[in-house]
Amino acid sequence: MFQTPSMTRKLVVAITSVVAAFWLVAMGFGVLIMQDEFSEIFDSGIQETAERLLPIVNDDLAGRQAGNAPRGVAEKAATNREYLTYQVRGRDGQILLKSRDAPSEPFPIALAVGFSQTDTHRLYTAGTADGSLYIQVADALDHRREAAIEGGMALFFPILALIPASIIAIILVVRMTLSPIEGLRNDIGTKDGGNMIPVDEAGLPVELRPIARSVNLLLERLRSALEAEREFTANSAHELRTPIAGALAQTQRLLAEVPPSLAARAGQIERSLQHLARLAEKLLQMSRAEAGIGISDEKTNLFPILDVVIEDIRRSALGAGRIVLHAQGDARVERQVRPDAFAIVVRNLLENALVHSPARSIVDVYFDSEGLRIVNESAVLDQATLASLTKRFTRGPTQAAGSGLGLSIVKRFVEQMNGNLALHSPATGRPGGFEAAVRF
Amino acid sequence: MSGDGVRVLLVEDDQVLGEALRDHIAAAGHAVDWFTGVVDSMAATETVEYGLILLDLRLPDGDGLSLLRHLRGRQDATPVIILTAHDQVSDRIEGLNSGADDYLVKPFDLDELTARMLAVSRRYAGKPTSTIRLPGIEIDQINRNVVVDNEIQLLSAREWAVLDKLAARPGAIVSKAQLHEELYAFGAEIESNTVEVYISRLRKKIGHDRIETIRGVGYCIK
Repeated sequence: MFQTPSMTRKLVVAITSVVAAFWLVAMGFGVLIMQDEFSEIFDSGIQETAERLLPIVNDDLAGRQAGNAPRGVAEKAATNREYLTYQVRGRDGQILLKSRDAPSEPFPIALAVGFSQTDTHRLYTAGTADGSLYIQVADALDHRREAAIEGGMALFFPILALIPASIIAIILVVRMTLSPIEGLRNDIGTKDGGNMIPVDEAGLPVELRPIARSVNLLLERLRSALEAEREFTANSAHELRTPIAGALAQTQRLLAEVPPSLAARAGQIERSLQHLARLAEKLLQMSRAEAGIGISDEKTNLFPILDVVIEDIRRSALGAGRIVLHAQGDARVERQVRPDAFAIVVRNLLENALVHSPARSIVDVYFDSEGLRIVNESAVLDQATLASLTKRFTRGPTQAAGSGLGLSIVKRFVEQMNGNLALHSPATGRPGGFEAAVRF
Repeated sequence: MSGDGVRVLLVEDDQVLGEALRDHIAAAGHAVDWFTGVVDSMAATETVEYGLILLDLRLPDGDGLSLLRHLRGRQDATPVIILTAHDQVSDRIEGLNSGADDYLVKPFDLDELTARMLAVSRRYAGKPTSTIRLPGIEIDQINRNVVVDNEIQLLSAREWAVLDKLAARPGAIVSKAQLHEELYAFGAEIESNTVEVYISRLRKKIGHDRIETIRGVGYCIK
């Protein structure tokens, strides 16, 4: 499963990894340099010690009677560990004197003045001018390694704590830096057919301004295109309706004037024109739905629109005395939808309910903040039929006049309004009937 | 209008539709003056007193609403029915708010037009047209404006019909049957509780105390 790439995560991981790697490399160099410096200091220590001890030991040996056996300087038993050990050796290599922790055997190196090294020790040999006495001061290499390791750890442990702290700091800085991108992304994300307000460029970093400018140009072009489409649809409606109205009116005058023998034929023309008018109406509504006029930048109170449409249909022969509205008179339900789109939704649902229910039966309209429900009497429809009703040119089991477009127009508009159209049969809480519910 | 012919001004630029409308109105016993533009129609209204105006909106020399606003601006209360191919609800609301009495979307049946003309004429029969001022409320019957406490209230056509009837005689009791009749004359089929519904809506818009219920008798506006 692939996770959507996140710039923030990528940046945090990359910057943290690079910073941690740099720190580790720097620490490595630090340890090497420190080890080198430690060696110099320790070497200086054993050299200094050997050169200081040599005259003292020489005087000491010369001033007392020499025994045959070497003996330690410290007669008293000590518990502390010696970091530096030494052996005082004669010309023949015999050990004349040694420190407590020094080995009883001579150091396995030649009696030559200067630095030398065994597997376990670093040594400095100093000798008297006549070569009768040598002192060899040794420093254990373990001691030096321990010092280097402890020094390295002293660098490493703070880094362990600093890495999480730097991750948090990097996350905060990255988020703060990327917040204008987040804001721009959210702003662009709200743009759709209804909201085409330009993106606010003020306050954006200079890197993002070209993006905002391009988005605004695109929105402007889209707005112009949609406006042109809406204008075209409105003009088409006007241009199409007027000749149909003229033809229908002329035909109805003809019906009033022709002799009865021709009335039947004229009546056929009238019915055809009425059917054409209804079909043209639905196709115009469909073209508006396709033009995306459902959503709006501004909020609209839907109740007055519902009221106007219901009042209009109540005055028609189809809806006279059949519509009962169940709503508060001062209901205020505001949504970001175009008034005309909502009016088309209500008109289609009401016409659908009136046409496909028994003559003079009541159609109930329920309206509240949740949405709109329109319920009419009908036989119960099966689920397959219900599912097909919102397809274009699909009609239920009815002989009633209709185009088969009404509910598909409603569905298209409701989708644009970010709402939901649900069809139920039987209607909610009833044994039968049909219910169309629009939820916003 | 059914019996008494009135002089009708028909403003329609489409020749085919205009001829049919002219003949239909004439056949109903009315005199018809038919013009195809705003300017000629405006001139006609200044010289002739019409009983009804049928007004198309999109005309070659302008918008029909400008003629309507001109009429209402000079306090001419001649009833106007808008005939238009614009079916958008926003156009309809704008038309009614501009002082139209009704709105008919093309194409329409001529019988429907006859019914609307009859309904509008019934509403205007013998009704004085003026601005009525009551405490805190001003009802402009010509422009169909209601200003309550200096704030314009938008009323639906039915709400306006009820208020118009009550405001015709402030303080006088108007029976429920009369309001029923008013709503019917407005061209609506009504249910048994319609009057109560619209009284309730009006009270919410103009103030609960302004319409008094006289139990068993009717309502009056104060």
